[in-house]
Amino acid sequence: MGRFIQFALVRAVMSLFTLLTVSLIVFSLMELVPGNCAERYLAFKNTQGSQITIADIEAEERRLGLDRPFMVRWATWVGNVFVHQDFGDSCILRLDINQLLSDKFWISLGICLAALFVSYLIAIPVGIYSATTKSAVTNNSLRFISYLGLALPNFLLALIIMLFSTVMFGDSLTGLFSKEYRDAAWSLDKFLDFLSRAWLPIFILGWSATAFALQTVRALMLDEVGKLYVTAASARGISGRRLLWGYPARHAMGPVINSLGFDLNRIFNELPVVALILTLTEAGALLIESLARSNDQQLAGAIIFLLTASIVIVNFVTDMMLALMDPRIRKGLIGS
Amino acid sequence: MIAFGHSKKRDEQKLKEAYFTASQGQLIRARFRQNKSAVVAAWALTIMILMGLFAPFLSPYDPTIAGRDKDYENGPPQIPKFWDENGFSARPFLYTLERERSIQTNFRWVTTENREKRRYVELFVKGWEYSFIDIEWDLPGTAFDVDLKTLTFDRHLFGVSEGGIHLFGTDASGKDIFSRTLHAIFTSLAVGTLGVLISFVLALIIGGVAGYFGGWIDSVLQMITDAIRTVPPIPLFMALAAFMPDEWSSETRFFFIATILGLIGWPTLARRIRTHLLTERSQEYVLAAEMSGASASHIIRRHLLPSFTSYIIVDLMITFPYVVRSETALSFIGLGLTDPVNSLGALMQNVSKADVLLNYQWYFIPVIFFIAFVLAFVFVGDGLRDAADPYSRSGK
Repeated sequence: MGRFIQFALVRAVMSLFTLLTVSLIVFSLMELVPGNCAERYLAFKNTQGSQITIADIEAEERRLGLDRPFMVRWATWVGNVFVHQDFGDSCILRLDINQLLSDKFWISLGICLAALFVSYLIAIPVGIYSATTKSAVTNNSLRFISYLGLALPNFLLALIIMLFSTVMFGDSLTGLFSKEYRDAAWSLDKFLDFLSRAWLPIFILGWSATAFALQTVRALMLDEVGKLYVTAASARGISGRRLLWGYPARHAMGPVINSLGFDLNRIFNELPVVALILTLTEAGALLIESLARSNDQQLAGAIIFLLTASIVIVNFVTDMMLALMDPRIRKGLIGS
Repeated sequence: MIAFGHSKKRDEQKLKEAYFTASQGQLIRARFRQNKSAVVAAWALTIMILMGLFAPFLSPYDPTIAGRDKDYENGPPQIPKFWDENGFSARPFLYTLERERSIQTNFRWVTTENREKRRYVELFVKGWEYSFIDIEWDLPGTAFDVDLKTLTFDRHLFGVSEGGIHLFGTDASGKDIFSRTLHAIFTSLAVGTLGVLISFVLALIIGGVAGYFGGWIDSVLQMITDAIRTVPPIPLFMALAAFMPDEWSSETRFFFIATILGLIGWPTLARRIRTHLLTERSQEYVLAAEMSGASASHIIRRHLLPSFTSYIIVDLMITFPYVVRSETALSFIGLGLTDPVNSLGALMQNVSKADVLLNYQWYFIPVIFFIAFVLAFVFVGDGLRDAADPYSRSGK
């Protein structure tokens, strides 16, 4: 057990290190975005009619601490994020980022995790079936559908569903809340309303995730099914579902769990496009807004960092799960 | 009868011999050919790649704003006919379109189709000029500037001598969608190839080293790979694209985007290579090679990498459409390739508007090509995977 705790601690430290590296990457990227917060704020003031000079910009830079060296600013930022969970203020909106993001980020994360869950819920049984079935027709049509999941762009799928729904029900299904709940506090009714709309982004995000998961599961199963231990098990008289789930599937699950974090990463990738097409009002939409339109580097940095942090956490959890599940690793760490 | 039996036996013997003496490549090819859908996909892919490579020759119009047809904006597809009520023609033809604005039409431009005046489709017509090699690099320092333009032609496979021929219709500014689609296929191919190549080389080096040596080298490389892998590439890339100065030429933007897609794509493959190597390097055959004094790079190249070629092939084939997809997503958001570089993503951006969906359905034709392109790639990748796996059940 002691060794397991040691292993967990090492992995936790490594995750923390990963987060630090990521924060450095994100922070440097935000430096690349042309202009800085001081210029942006004063440019905004300029549109309000007041005259701005270079001296004003420099004063503002000093006030925001932008005149300090890069590494110092990064350290301050990381310190604030890790210790106080404080991302500072948004450059454009002049609002506390925590306040701006809190709900929206959790909604995005919830949608993405739901999509991930749904995709494996479908992919694992179907993938195992597809790897072992002898029926050519079932196999080919299953493969075709899963390939279509890769090839059919998610925005096209969203467009088709929206068009269909507009024509059939007169509701385009865009947005995450009905009008009456948009600004209301969270309640059961609001949650139900949210669910009645969230299925569409979940479905669209899950669509290609399922296709990819199906590919992975099928490939892994095909690799495992031909191995000798499966033949040996079937020679002992184990067959059917017991054979599949008890032997090759257990081996194939290791790499699947290993890749969960990356699947979440893939889903995050699709988030901006889905947000754009479904006019969602969550973190993905804010990210587009802050990068493509307003160059709000503080906000964009916070969103990218939060998305990445959730992937790091998922990776840590899956590593722990793998260590507990795989007897080869478990016995080495905990002792039998 | 006996002689016949003999020859049959000999044939069998020969077949067996051919099987056992066949090279790895021959075996893979033979197994691949048995997979019908993969073969069909391979043909479709080859055709599309050729279409992309010879896009300038095949397309009757310049895909940029220079080739626009002022008189045919948002025009529906024009399909050449062989036959109508006025009789049959061996040479396909189109009708002449006449535009008129007068008191009868309420002073609006009205286009009518004159079915009496046929315009015949011609082969190998002269049209806009194009070069297969057209390199123009404006690198810092005049000594390094490259301006190379050779293999210039102006012949196109087909065209009409007057009026226009727009097989897939035109877009809002009158650009020929057929020509744009062909050029977009080429761009997507180029972005994909460049991106996949960059990620492949990086993954092979980093994953190979980490997986083979293990220990602290593995830990350090793993940490770096992990950090890069965990950042979702599209948001990261959106940040990079926001950094792209406006004054960059479209070619520079193209190379920038392809490079970034490649740089972001390698960690997945690297991690898989490493995981596989970690399990594989403790096998007896590696030990045997080590005992015989083989060097590390020799063992990686000759023994370990071939043990999972199928994995690499599938991953490369799957990565390719993903790189294309990433580019599409970026262009769709408006941060990727822009005019005059035609990419499938840039073309699909037009589709997302509601009036397109209702009125100009021919805008969707490039989307069909995109779907077919990705599908073909995935089918071929899957067929190759099954064929390259020496333990796969098919083909034995």
